[in-house]
Amino acid sequence: MNLAAIRRARPLLGTLVDIAAHGPDAEAAVAAAFRAVEQVHALMSYHDPASDVSRLNREAAGRTVTVHPWTWQVLHAAREFSLASDGLFDITVAPALTRLGYLPRHADFPRASSRADWRSIELLPRHQVRFSCPLHIDLGGIAKGFAVDRAIEALQAGGVTSARVNAGGDLRRFGPERETVHVRHPHAPTLLLPVIELGEGAAATSAGYFALRHSGGLPCSPHIHPRTGKSLAVDISATVLARDCMTADALTKIVLADRHAAGAVLERFGARALVIDRDNHTGAWRLRDSTPLRESHA
Amino acid sequence: MHKELIWLSLPALAAPALPAYAVQYLTLEQAQRALFPEATAFRETRILLTAEQRAAIEKASRVRVRVPELNAWRVEAGGKLAGWFLLDEVYGKHEFITYAVALDATGAVRGIEILDYRETHGGEVRNANWRAQFVGKRAGAPLELDNDIKNISGATLSCKHIADGVRRLLASYEAVLK
Repeated sequence: MNLAAIRRARPLLGTLVDIAAHGPDAEAAVAAAFRAVEQVHALMSYHDPASDVSRLNREAAGRTVTVHPWTWQVLHAAREFSLASDGLFDITVAPALTRLGYLPRHADFPRASSRADWRSIELLPRHQVRFSCPLHIDLGGIAKGFAVDRAIEALQAGGVTSARVNAGGDLRRFGPERETVHVRHPHAPTLLLPVIELGEGAAATSAGYFALRHSGGLPCSPHIHPRTGKSLAVDISATVLARDCMTADALTKIVLADRHAAGAVLERFGARALVIDRDNHTGAWRLRDSTPLRESHA
Repeated sequence: MHKELIWLSLPALAAPALPAYAVQYLTLEQAQRALFPEATAFRETRILLTAEQRAAIEKASRVRVRVPELNAWRVEAGGKLAGWFLLDEVYGKHEFITYAVALDATGAVRGIEILDYRETHGGEVRNANWRAQFVGKRAGAPLELDNDIKNISGATLSCKHIADGVRRLLASYEAVLK
């Protein structure tokens, strides 16, 4: 038995995916975890014309398209998050991201309808999908978390004692010890702020700092409010703690879109949010925690 | 029912800056073994790029060639060409990354591994002397690093720089090694 602690990183999913594991055959388990992430990347990339996402964007408005069970699972989960948040989470905002330059233009996708939203995606039996009108989906707000969950599954199946997967801020770990999770300061992203101790579970952060662009002279982020189609504030960081990373990843977008409405959604999924933003009156940076007062004192 | 978000103070916001964050994932030898487990020999060929090669690479990859040098290893397995191991560095405003790209015998990417990732809140990355302190250490003993920070929830800085670097290396292979 080869007991080892290893840590590897590869560029995948548009970020660096960092996997650490400790235990017997850690090397083989980490290799299997990367294979799972690579598969999610291949299925759910918006850029790759051969991905399930591109096939759907190209063809699903005209006929039913059969996708991989993993893609179907993510589409199904996305629908749950859209339903629970009354559309604050919506995977059909891709055209707005293309306009802002965050996503490439695909000449062979039909033009997206302006009335399309998450309800226009029909999930049919046997992993079939159909769009009721032309639209473009982007799984960028949820697929990284899903990939982290599949990697964790592979590591657990590989029999390691403890492991951690971090896909550019979407992280999940398991094992006997607890580790500090750091969040980047929204205004100075190389400053790392210790915010929470994590045993088993996931933490995902969304923020605009690395994706800043300018549109019409104004700074914008790749986080689009589904109801207005407008880019959301850049000087804010939302971290969500949840049991699985896909939930944490998706809920960060809901917290960024509407922190007040997010409370009920967080509760429904057993999640907790930590928000770093700036006080409009004093200019001071502050941390907000969604945990109700009584629980935080318990 | 809506939950009101409550206020907590965040002492870390007032704390002094943390030291630069750095991870060493693999040494050069470990990266070579990880990418080419079947290899029987790695033959180092450090290639100085001519002005014409440099221009061709920049045109094909649309990426600037900062260092006119290619760190390549010809990889052999049982006396036959198994592929190429290319070692490269990219840096942005705050980060410095060493990575390796493995090409098979036909020039297709068979794997990418990060060797070192370091970021700093200062301006050191732009300084050649700051970067130089890591260069000689790669092949030998692992660096002494601050390993306290393992979990950063919040994106890594420069996946784009790596993507650009890989494109530049593929163009370099076409121009020089093929």
